[in-house]
Amino acid sequence: MLEPVELKDFFIVFFSGAMVIMAGALYALLFAWSRLQSKPWMMVLAYASYGILFISVLVLGSAAHLHGFWWWLVITMLVGYLLAPHGIWNLCVATHASSVAPEADEKDLEPGSNQPINKTIKEESV
Amino acid sequence: MNNATPWWSSEVFWKKTAIWVTGSMFVVLIILTLDSIPKITAGSERVPAYSVINKHIDYKFNDERNIQVPLIGGEDPLFGKMLSEEEAEALVSYGKKITQGRNCMGCHTLLGNGSYFAPDLTKAWLDPGWSSEEEREEMMIAFLMDPVENARSFGSGRMMPNLHLSRGEAMAVVAFLKWMSSIDTNGFPYNFTVIDKEG
Amino acid sequence: MKLDHLNGGQQLAVKYYTVAISLFVAQIIFGLLSGMQYLYPELLFGMLDFNVTRTVHINAMVVWLLYGFIGSVYWLLEEESETEIVGLKLGQLAFWVLTSAVAVVVLVFLLVQSGPGDDFTRWFVNEGREYIEAPRWADIGIVICMLVFFYNVAATFSKGKWSGISGVLTLDLVALAGIYLAGMFYTPNISVDQYWWWWVIHLWVEATWEVLVGCLMAWGLMKVLKVDRKIVTTWLYIEVALMFGSGILGLGHHYFWIGTPEYWLTIGGFFSALEPIPLVAMVVHAVYDAGARHMKGNNNPALAWLIAHAFGNFFGAGVWGFMHTLPQINLYTHGTQWSASHGHLAFFGAYATIVIAMIYIAVPYMRGQKGLGSNLPDGGWKWKWSLGLLNMGVVGMTVALLISGYEQSFIERAVGGSTWYGYFSAQTHPWFIQGMEWRMIFGLITSVGIVLLVWDLLTIGKGRVAQEREQTQAVA
Repeated sequence: MLEPVELKDFFIVFFSGAMVIMAGALYALLFAWSRLQSKPWMMVLAYASYGILFISVLVLGSAAHLHGFWWWLVITMLVGYLLAPHGIWNLCVATHASSVAPEADEKDLEPGSNQPINKTIKEESV
Repeated sequence: MNNATPWWSSEVFWKKTAIWVTGSMFVVLIILTLDSIPKITAGSERVPAYSVINKHIDYKFNDERNIQVPLIGGEDPLFGKMLSEEEAEALVSYGKKITQGRNCMGCHTLLGNGSYFAPDLTKAWLDPGWSSEEEREEMMIAFLMDPVENARSFGSGRMMPNLHLSRGEAMAVVAFLKWMSSIDTNGFPYNFTVIDKEG
Repeated sequence: MKLDHLNGGQQLAVKYYTVAISLFVAQIIFGLLSGMQYLYPELLFGMLDFNVTRTVHINAMVVWLLYGFIGSVYWLLEEESETEIVGLKLGQLAFWVLTSAVAVVVLVFLLVQSGPGDDFTRWFVNEGREYIEAPRWADIGIVICMLVFFYNVAATFSKGKWSGISGVLTLDLVALAGIYLAGMFYTPNISVDQYWWWWVIHLWVEATWEVLVGCLMAWGLMKVLKVDRKIVTTWLYIEVALMFGSGILGLGHHYFWIGTPEYWLTIGGFFSALEPIPLVAMVVHAVYDAGARHMKGNNNPALAWLIAHAFGNFFGAGVWGFMHTLPQINLYTHGTQWSASHGHLAFFGAYATIVIAMIYIAVPYMRGQKGLGSNLPDGGWKWKWSLGLLNMGVVGMTVALLISGYEQSFIERAVGGSTWYGYFSAQTHPWFIQGMEWRMIFGLITSVGIVLLVWDLLTIGKGRVAQEREQTQAVA
């Protein structure tokens, strides 16, 4: 069953909805930055952003009447947005681990060049 | 292969994952489609048969679902003429073809989809702007045949252009609109006020 | 312009890019007309009504983006497959057939406009379904031209060599062409009609186009930033998994109110909440990349437009999409200027930007140069200003439409109960009108941006050619 948003809560829903995504991105950004530059104090800011996200999700959940089955959406968002940057960061580290140094293939591209960017790639078909 | 790459970050793993995720999501979509299509086929509970234009249509609040839902009542034939299922389908279909040929969606929304330059037509049949149920049919015909003369722009200055509909064409469009108003749209549009029963 | 030094695919690409930019200009002209008609309803009344100007506005957009995508794929085809394009002549024929068809369709939209409610109208005048208004004969023509395009892509890669990017690209093109067929039939049942219509619109815009752009982006990153191919390919797969994983069933958010069963409310709500996750992934990855390698590009305009793409995609699709996607609020915003606001930023941010970036990648090669660095003779003011004005214009329009849409969801939907009277009381409200006025002002800013963009594309780097030629002549 759907409980439509009440008129007085319109702005809250739009604003908290936007804040979920913005705070989610800010958390991801600060998290990655902190890891990249080994700056632990930035991690505090990252989790502060997540705190904003947490509050925004709860506000959205109450204003948009996300009760009953819809409560799972709130849980999913809280857990999903918390863990996603961790997972993606680990993937970044792991996928780049095997790569050659970026400078290695850095040469000027000739006009109309038919040169492949990286010839070491092995052939594969999908 | 480079040993430094764990299995969960390897190219092959993600290639397989991409294929499996895409494939399974698509299969789920197909299954849901197979379930949904019968439920929106004309003659189903949510999308009534075309002959519903022979009946009275209302839009009432349903406490259990917490939204307004269409209510199909007793006999109330469109333009006073009872139609068979085939005749009704032919008329509604003609009406829909006219709305496509005149590109109504270029200004209006139908079921909320289209353009936002003119009112939504989902429940146009039930709109209180048509004065009363008694006058509704004639008013709709007159408006569709000469929307400039019978402009209903509520002070906005916006008018529907004359699309040169014949009386027969206008009747078909009204039939299509009446049928569309009987579709269960999960409460869209919300908080709708229905036309007066009497003038 | 002499293009003999380009390979066959690239020569074809230049043709597609030229038409793409021309249609982009047409899109903006007709967008301006549509916007003006909100403010001055008598403008061209009875001659070129809103339904005509708006139809051309949105169709020009769909077609110019498609031309941009096709052009981009042709541009990278020979380099990626390491062989010559298989059907150059056929490709050229298809280009002229498609372009003539587009021209005829636009002329019919403008001059014939509408027809009676019969099959002839749908086959030869106007199908009257938003975004796919093109009459049936043109649909068939489009499918044939897409098949030629697909043949050229698949056969060229088969003759040369496959890679991860080309594999994803080719499969995506199959899906893209196949899904178009879902929109090519008539049914009197509007619910069934819109059910399949959304397959075309949503599965193009929020699934197959996204992946196509992912392929172009992957290639663009290798080209502009020299990112390692293996990494780019792995990440393309990760993105495909995330995008199709959330985007295919995200289709559910279009099935809230068209007659479809109630379970779509839950499915649509959940998967819409997941759709921003690929965007979060991109943020983390972009930061990682920025730190892991020197951001040394040889093409500043392309790089700037790629960055605009990242931001535009995030705000347009992510923030603007999520704000009104849950059914509890979408009940009020569906079919209002909210949709227009979201549409403007999302289409521009996710797609227009990347096509412009791809064209900028091509431009120096067309002029036989190495790149478009920071040492442009005029300081590159034209591309910088066009970038700034186009982005400012679209963002401004988006915010203006948002204000109108916010007011509309209040006055028309919540208070007015969505009746015709409610609709018009919202349309005459000062907030709405002011929103429309600001939209128009930012629309004009956008148009100045496009003029500069066209001027820049026609001239950028030309001074340098002259300088280089003078130097060679002096040596000789």
